[in-house]
Amino acid sequence: MTEPFDIDADLVRKLSGLLEETGLGEIEYEDGRKRIRVARPASVATVTAPAPVAANTVSPPPETSDDSAHPGAVTSPMVGTIYLSQSPGDPPLVKQGDTVSEGQTLMLIEAMKTFNEVKSPRAGTVSNIAVISGQPVEYGELLAIVD
Amino acid sequence: MVNKVLIANRGEIALRIHRACKEMGILTVAVHSTADSYAMHVRLADESVCIGPPPAAESYLNIPAILSAATLTGADAIHPGYGFLSENSNFARIVEEHGMAFIGPTAESIATMGDKVAAKDAMRAAGVPVVPGSDGAVENVAEATRIAGEIGYPVIVKAASGGGGRGMKVVEAPDGIETAFKMARTEAKANFGDETVYIEKYLGQPRHVEVQVIGDGQGHAVHLFERDCSLQRNHQKVVEEAPCPVLDDATRKRIGTICAEATAKMNYRSAGTFEFLYENGEFFFIEMNTRVQVEHPITEMICNFDIVAEMIRIAGGAPLSIQQSDVVMEGHAIECRINAEDPVSFAPSPGLVEEYHAPGGLGVRVDSALYAGYRIPPYYDSLVAKLIIHGRNRDEALMRLRRTLNEMAVSGISTTIPLHQRVVEAPSFTSADYDIHWLERFVETS
Repeated sequence: MTEPFDIDADLVRKLSGLLEETGLGEIEYEDGRKRIRVARPASVATVTAPAPVAANTVSPPPETSDDSAHPGAVTSPMVGTIYLSQSPGDPPLVKQGDTVSEGQTLMLIEAMKTFNEVKSPRAGTVSNIAVISGQPVEYGELLAIVD
Repeated sequence: MVNKVLIANRGEIALRIHRACKEMGILTVAVHSTADSYAMHVRLADESVCIGPPPAAESYLNIPAILSAATLTGADAIHPGYGFLSENSNFARIVEEHGMAFIGPTAESIATMGDKVAAKDAMRAAGVPVVPGSDGAVENVAEATRIAGEIGYPVIVKAASGGGGRGMKVVEAPDGIETAFKMARTEAKANFGDETVYIEKYLGQPRHVEVQVIGDGQGHAVHLFERDCSLQRNHQKVVEEAPCPVLDDATRKRIGTICAEATAKMNYRSAGTFEFLYENGEFFFIEMNTRVQVEHPITEMICNFDIVAEMIRIAGGAPLSIQQSDVVMEGHAIECRINAEDPVSFAPSPGLVEEYHAPGGLGVRVDSALYAGYRIPPYYDSLVAKLIIHGRNRDEALMRLRRTLNEMAVSGISTTIPLHQRVVEAPSFTSADYDIHWLERFVETS
């Protein structure tokens, strides 16, 4: 007749402690007719979307900067090159800290030899100019913030 | 030699172009709308430029934005892919005026082939058989009656400014020509603002057979055999195969040679396709496509030849890298166009792709920009993957196609994979006994 099997909680705790301490995944202990095995579940790599491709060839999806979502964010309406002043050598049209009115020209974008004015969508203070003269910008890129 | 190519397209073809460039050591620039910021080819490209908001008119059709991006990134060539600006002769001309290579034919070729009447004239002059027709506008009932009699019934009255299957009237017998002519003119005026109509012979059960050519604009051209693209729905190809399963080698060689010679005679540059209706052993030219086509991979599989890479080489000024004697056909290839649509209602199914498993193995090619976690935008066409199968013969290709369609898994969106699974089991498909009307009848009766 078999003996009732009594779980030795202390032994289990001791073995678990050993697992932690040693970093092992599994310990099996046998003593006469009793055998106990304590195992740590193997860490399961959860597949999260998006599934990454080889990290060294694929650039991660572009981060949307919090600034672009700012209500006073001025983003580029086109692909082109930024010019902060009307002509080379002229002072910039606006500087950080300037107060501007709605519709005031903040900077110029040049594309295909044509200059376009970037106008402030609201009256306020220019809290950030995110680009420099001569910088190429893409559609939607943050140019400035008017608070 | 080309150093940096701007890819003026999106989706699977943009990835296709990127792949060809990278195999040749060429840098890539991906221009994209805000809706495509997470597209795979954008992530893989050496540089990317966001050129506009989602609507194609403001992004993929936005010539100034694309040219700005090309100038800013220093691209020396632009590949237009298919659709969008690929057959816009203005765009081709502007690109070259800005000192960049347009990876495709000249603006003149595009313009000529875009004009249906001019294209037919050019083909006739080059010895390519055309659909017998009125050779221009038909002005009145008397002329219509005479011409229809000469062509031989059944005939079809078509709007000169029409397209997409609209503004067409089939006439079976002489007693119907007057009504059809008048109705066609009225409808043409109402639908297209131009009542001009012309008449062509109507082919009842034709196959759509097209011949792939490539020329270098330096007097050399080859054909890369033909494709059968009869399986269509709403004038959109759904399944294609290469070579055409019902042509014998003599016919294949004859039509291929006619097309290659016409291509060389026109001094045509880059890839092109001659589209024919084929019935009772006769070919009838309908149009020439002056771009790389969606179904080009099946030709690549049977010829073991990279058409996109050759387009890029030619754009860089190189002559054709092959002669006709180098073009050898091996085996059989089939392509299934997989759309993000309900397989029964064809309702579009954009959205998040949760799981994606592409089938693999010998003779299996998947041209797709899908990945698990990718969100398909709702603004563009629904083609999301091309499943291309190659086998040593058509039977092997069919077995392989059946297996891969059963293995391919896409969840989170609906796809037309179930439709393809049904087509592949259909006796008419397995026996290659189909014409351009077959698929629509099959879909209706399923």
